[in-house]
Amino acid sequence: MKHATLVRLGTLAVLLASGPAQAHAFLDHSEPKVGNKVTAPPREVTLWFTQKLEPAFSRVTVTNGAGERIDNGKPRVSGNQLSVSLRSGGAGTYHVNWHVLSVDTHSTEGNFTFQVGQ
Amino acid sequence: MDWFGVEIDGPIVVVRTIHFAATATMAGALMFRAVVAEPSLRSAEQVDLIVDRRIRALVWICVALSIASGVAWLLLQTSAMSGETYSQALMSGALVIVLNETQFGLVMKIRLVFVLVLAVCLAYDRFPPVRWLGLGSSLCLTVAIAWTGHAGSTPYQLGYLHLTADALHLLAASAWTGGLVSLVLLLAATASHQVETRAALELDAVRRFSSLGIVSVATLVGSGIVNGWILVGSFRGLGATTYGRVLMLKVAIFLIMVSVATVNRFFLAPRLALSGGGDAQRKWAHGLRRNALVEIVLAFLVFAVVGLLGTLHPAAHLVN
Repeated sequence: MKHATLVRLGTLAVLLASGPAQAHAFLDHSEPKVGNKVTAPPREVTLWFTQKLEPAFSRVTVTNGAGERIDNGKPRVSGNQLSVSLRSGGAGTYHVNWHVLSVDTHSTEGNFTFQVGQ
Repeated sequence: MDWFGVEIDGPIVVVRTIHFAATATMAGALMFRAVVAEPSLRSAEQVDLIVDRRIRALVWICVALSIASGVAWLLLQTSAMSGETYSQALMSGALVIVLNETQFGLVMKIRLVFVLVLAVCLAYDRFPPVRWLGLGSSLCLTVAIAWTGHAGSTPYQLGYLHLTADALHLLAASAWTGGLVSLVLLLAATASHQVETRAALELDAVRRFSSLGIVSVATLVGSGIVNGWILVGSFRGLGATTYGRVLMLKVAIFLIMVSVATVNRFFLAPRLALSGGGDAQRKWAHGLRRNALVEIVLAFLVFAVVGLLGTLHPAAHLVN
């Protein structure tokens, strides 16, 4: 039997036997987009994750270029989407720090930046 | 705890393993009683009573293990979610938040109701409707596990497909594992109580279980394809991630189980049918018992691997 055929059969066998398993929420994408530049300060930041989130244990903070926290506190969670409203923070590099708990009970955290200004 | 380069949350893996094994064995044993033992042993009242008593004792043990491991799982998970120690999580109100504000907590409360209904049904299961209610509760208790795992958190329409596949996977794994344990109990009961129709009883039970086993394996295969497609997603994910490699270990054990079951189905069962009683019949029935025990050990190894897999990042999220 050819090597390629063996590899395919092995892979199929693995796929056949996967079972109940749990995952972790990773950041899928965000608005404003990770690392991108926007001309005007956004009114909110929204993050989409690979898993549904638990509101009780999910949070996000946003700081502006001056290092001041400009999010309005408690984020809104809908399915795999996490949003937080922002106060105007002017131009500069915005830092977004998130810590989320997926519905399957695993915590993950991360951060990213985006630019505001011309 | 670091094990061969894999970071393992030991207590949660152990508790999940015990919980999955106990729940699956409980539901599978009651399925076995309903579709294998009762129809096969209808003509042998004495053996039927013994097997029924043993299966009920097995289920009671599983109920106790399931409740104890479920409570431990809830406490460990609360500590992990809140980032607090076990005692802090109890005192700070984190446990109440988990129970009232998370899907995991809600599902665990619903499952507690099912296990309590099952316990009441077991205590009063002389009546057929109560037995069926107990069986239904045990199946719900098992299926609900899907909502505590990855399938319960998969977003969009894909989540429904994943939940369905996971629920079927859990039911099939339960039918196979719990059925195997119960089959050993049944064969031991017929061996220790000399009844004239022993060979016919054993053969009938083995054939019925074999049919249940074939349906279980087919369901495991179908639902496994869906789960694998969602959680692994690519060939690269199998070898390039810890999740993929641990999953391959699970598949290896699964394939060995299927091989042993195939020997039972196509080698031992036909010989048991042709033995016509006496030493030959005892020999083949003993072979079936021994192989069933091997399968049970392998099944519990699979539960341990599943307990570990649940704490790892699925390959699909890392590779894509």
